[in-house]
Amino acid sequence: MTRSLCLALIAGSVLAGSAGLASAQTGCTHNIGAVLSITGSMAAIGSAIGDAAALAVEHMNAAGGAAGCQINFILRDDQGAPNVGIDAAKTLVEIERVPVLLGAIQSGVSMPILTSVAVPAKVTQISCCSSAPAFTALAREGGTQGYWFRTLPTSLPQGVVMATLGREKGYGRTAIIHVNSDYGVSMARAFKEAFEALGGTVTAVVPYNQEQASYRAEVNAALQGEPDSLFLVAFPADGATALREWIAFGGPTRLLLSNALRADEFVRSVGAEYLADAAGIDNAQIAGPSVDALNAAWAARFGAAPNGPGLHTMYDAAAVALLAMEKAGAADGTAIRDAIREITGGAGTEVFPGPEGFARAKELIAAGQPVRYVGATGPIAFDANGDVTGPLLIWGVAADGSLTVGDYWSNERVAEAVAAVNPG
Amino acid sequence: MSGFASYLVFFLIVASIYGVMVLGLNLQWGYTGLFNAGVVGFYAIGAYGTAILAGPEREALVGGFGLPYPLALLGGMAATGVAALVVGLATLRLRAEYLAIATFGTAIGVQLVAVNFERLTGGVNGLIGLTRPGFAWFGTPGAYNLFFLGVMAVLVAAVFLALEAAVRSPWGRLLKAVREDETAARSLGKNIARLRLQAFVLGSIPIGLAGGLYVGFIGYVSPLDFLPILTFQVWAMLIVGGSGNNAGALLGAVGVWALWTMSGLAISRLVPVAWQSQAGAIQVLLIGLLIVVVLLVRPQGLLGERATVSREAE
Repeated sequence: MTRSLCLALIAGSVLAGSAGLASAQTGCTHNIGAVLSITGSMAAIGSAIGDAAALAVEHMNAAGGAAGCQINFILRDDQGAPNVGIDAAKTLVEIERVPVLLGAIQSGVSMPILTSVAVPAKVTQISCCSSAPAFTALAREGGTQGYWFRTLPTSLPQGVVMATLGREKGYGRTAIIHVNSDYGVSMARAFKEAFEALGGTVTAVVPYNQEQASYRAEVNAALQGEPDSLFLVAFPADGATALREWIAFGGPTRLLLSNALRADEFVRSVGAEYLADAAGIDNAQIAGPSVDALNAAWAARFGAAPNGPGLHTMYDAAAVALLAMEKAGAADGTAIRDAIREITGGAGTEVFPGPEGFARAKELIAAGQPVRYVGATGPIAFDANGDVTGPLLIWGVAADGSLTVGDYWSNERVAEAVAAVNPG
Repeated sequence: MSGFASYLVFFLIVASIYGVMVLGLNLQWGYTGLFNAGVVGFYAIGAYGTAILAGPEREALVGGFGLPYPLALLGGMAATGVAALVVGLATLRLRAEYLAIATFGTAIGVQLVAVNFERLTGGVNGLIGLTRPGFAWFGTPGAYNLFFLGVMAVLVAAVFLALEAAVRSPWGRLLKAVREDETAARSLGKNIARLRLQAFVLGSIPIGLAGGLYVGFIGYVSPLDFLPILTFQVWAMLIVGGSGNNAGALLGAVGVWALWTMSGLAISRLVPVAWQSQAGAIQVLLIGLLIVVVLLVRPQGLLGERATVSREAE
């Protein structure tokens, strides 16, 4: 093993040398890196997410590169394990000299990369997919030093909007039944804090474990304290089981439902007659030229529609990084961190995904004009903690069992609701 | 410091943390023949123990005692020792594969506690904002990592020398006797149950120490850090390096971890961008293949166990 270790070291340094030579011949390049799960528990979605980042880099290169150079995209596998992920991130930062890290997918991989690699080395990290509220908490206490961003909306705004809606409908005593996962726990917590801040009472917070035959015990616990309404955070099959038992035990049908329950399967198995008073929440499907631009480019490149988790958010993560690098004029982590604030939000000229959009952005930046990136997930605006908010919608169920779309909550309206309860 | 050198420092820190862990497992398996398939569970207890003792005070958590890091590290080791004592008392009457199943179950149990005991462990969110000991004294991550590597070198040397002294003592010879023929050792009037327990607890403490060091170096801990794959990695390190040989254990830690990580670096350099999303699978294949090749060529490990014969045997 000593011999093969030596060989690995020699091979590594030879490769490092040859890469340097290659870039000298073809003009300059800047590296950007991604750490994603190509193998391991998230492998099913990981490589397509990698393709999304590579596509954004291709588009930027077609538009002439960023910060005066072509961009070289380096994708590393974390095998779904934090220890492999931090090592990959460290090689990207130290050996490949990347100013930006994209990823990771799982929060438990992104977080150690952030604390042990990105922040100490002053490298900007943008994740497509990590949803844990711990990042917001860390940012709030200054642990990210502003180097952390994510393009995936967190569940906090959804909980706050549901609490606001419940209070508007006059619900005073609400019980919560939620799936016992990172997603369910954080959604329930956000709802509870907001609901209580708005003067309501949460009578019970009951977690349930997935895929049980019956949730009678959980429903019973939630019915204690005489609630006048229920906030159900669940997935369709388990949610239907729990809700049928809730109704059978005489629980009120004044219901608030989470985004995953917006499914015909759920409505069919509960029965539309019980869902007349139900109101649910979901991310509003963003439509518009910026979304079409990516969908068309994806279809042209891969011959299929970009269906799958994380593709749009990853494209935007990479696009934001590259446009910020162009704006900063240098491949420097801190400069990119600051430039991200200048090319998102604000009142600049809108620029879209795709080579034409990036070329337009480069022209405007060169001319000293402000730009605002409107991406594959719509207009992007990071808050102080690096989180994005997306527009939301309220859905309901018609008498014939079809799903209806009610109120639309724009980014501004969501931000107002969040500010009104100031959770955290 | 050049990029490759500073990466190498980082790599060696992580590898030496695993080295400490492999040394602990070597006492259990290499010398005593205890099949501990729950290495990651004791690693997790050391890690969470240290993190809870050293972490900042938080409203939502029962822990967060803000102790100085070295004290917290000792606390984590003590917690691991106590846990090993309890697990050992309950399971050590079991032989080989039964012990493996029992310890494997223990590790899964520890991970489930980490996921669900939110007030103590932060649940799936993990514990954030842990201070990296002494980071403030050094301006740059490069200088800090050099310092941490120095600390690691001292600790690895200390654990190595202590274990070497232990296994060379009469007590160490007895461990090997138990491994080779338990009935014969018992027939000499030795208390085998107590000996197995001692080896199990003493071997678990370095594993817990490694957990605490990992937390100190990374500044974060979550249940995802303690997947069963890590137990397999540590075992691969010991078997490839040579079980029953402490130097082999360290060599195995560095070698297998190098294979695991640097193969990714080499592949990312060699494979064209368009194929990168397939490269991960090649890397995993390569890791498995090389481990198998090493074991075929050197079944006793890179450094096998030294034959020990009595001075009077000649």
